[in-house]
Amino acid sequence: MDNLASENLAWIVLFGHIAIIVAGGFITVLSESLVRALMGLILTLFGVAGLFFLMAAPFIGLMQILIYVGAVSVLIFFAIMLTNAWPGGDESGNISGKKVIFAILASIAPAVFLGSAALRTAPPSIFVPEETEVRELGRFFLEPYILPFELISLLLTVAMAGAVILVFERRKKK
Amino acid sequence: MIEAIPIQLVIMLVGLAATMAFVGLNAIVLVYLERKVAGFIHRRPGPYEVGPHGILQPFADGLKLVGKQIFTPKGADSFLYWLAPMISMAPAVVCFLVIPFGPHLQIINTNVGLVLILAFTGVNVLALCIAGWTSQNKYSLLGAARGVSQSVAYEIPLLLSVLPIIFLTGTFNLFDIATNQGSWPWQWFVVTQPLAFIIFFICALAETNRAPFDLPEAESELTAGFHTEYSGMGFALFFLSEYAYMVIAACVGAILFLGGFKGPIVDGWWWFLAKVYILLLIMIWIRWTFPRVRFDQLLNICWKWLIPLAILNLLITLLVIAL
Repeated sequence: MDNLASENLAWIVLFGHIAIIVAGGFITVLSESLVRALMGLILTLFGVAGLFFLMAAPFIGLMQILIYVGAVSVLIFFAIMLTNAWPGGDESGNISGKKVIFAILASIAPAVFLGSAALRTAPPSIFVPEETEVRELGRFFLEPYILPFELISLLLTVAMAGAVILVFERRKKK
Repeated sequence: MIEAIPIQLVIMLVGLAATMAFVGLNAIVLVYLERKVAGFIHRRPGPYEVGPHGILQPFADGLKLVGKQIFTPKGADSFLYWLAPMISMAPAVVCFLVIPFGPHLQIINTNVGLVLILAFTGVNVLALCIAGWTSQNKYSLLGAARGVSQSVAYEIPLLLSVLPIIFLTGTFNLFDIATNQGSWPWQWFVVTQPLAFIIFFICALAETNRAPFDLPEAESELTAGFHTEYSGMGFALFFLSEYAYMVIAACVGAILFLGGFKGPIVDGWWWFLAKVYILLLIMIWIRWTFPRVRFDQLLNICWKWLIPLAILNLLITLLVIAL
């Protein structure tokens, strides 16, 4: 009885989060104001973080909130503030039917391909996820996956250096 | 049917209600304390008229705020405008769920407690942004812009000052970090990591927008910064969340560096609350002692002093651990 109830609860939580993610996506795409679109994006990010919690990966979920909501979205917001976007929205306007069809196709395509691939070649998995310790996660990154992990940090360093160089070039022109 | 409800859910809901009560209670005490301490530092009695020694002043303030007219500025996105104070308040309540108040007084004992607090306190900046942007006011916008650059900059030394403690204890679990320290003051991490504690405290002041780092709401320059346009409960929620974040910062400082609920003779929540309130009193004391920093000074302190010192401290700690 107890097991059944918690199983049902898990399904409710799963579909609740999927609904939040999809709703956030639609808000992002359809809203006229840039800031409201950003709010939709943040809603989606929170939904994804919730899914990580459901998969017993609270560390990843919290990192999602810390990095994407706490830092990336805030910096996007900062950029919006600098561009003088007004609340009425200047992104609105007539959208042609062709564009809508292409947009829907473009958004469904990855879902169909990835979904079919995941369904066909689903790895054997356990029904109730178990939490991996942060210590093990770190060891996993630093032992078998050390090369990709370091390459990603190199990429970030290059991106940061590029940004600094761009800023200094613009300053010289002035 | 009642048996089917998981016990964790019940604990969490009761805990949320309890933390909300705790946040409210703390705000009442802190408003009174802040005004009284400010009064004593200014050599005046502080609030004195409402109740004996003005002890009912916070309730009068609260009633005034509840009774005020709710007003949305012209041309503002009213949905987002009123969402901002709620976004500011909600994560603060979540943070209290993982704080160990005593050996048996913790709502959720999770392995990622510290990360949870760091993640959810970061959401507050977003509320600040929304408030500043939707207010349709240059002061609010400037306040929000300052708030963002300040909290993004100070997040780095804050994390760097917390890292040595994580390396020393090997866990993100706040309960384990507290129990890793002994009962006597010389067994606390503040003795082995004094520099990290100082950096943490300065960053906590900056992250909670407390003076001398209260640039996002500098009264003399920006009226009230990002919450200039808010009236009534909108303003009250921002106020509440500011005090809630102060308490969270003091709690985390007490757990990481001052042994949490561990104390001489008998461990318990009384030691924890005493440490938290000592840290809060120091915050209030600092507010009425130091002048506000300029913006360039603020960023210089962060990039030229706190980050290099924090990295140095981290490297030395790692070296000692490795040896």
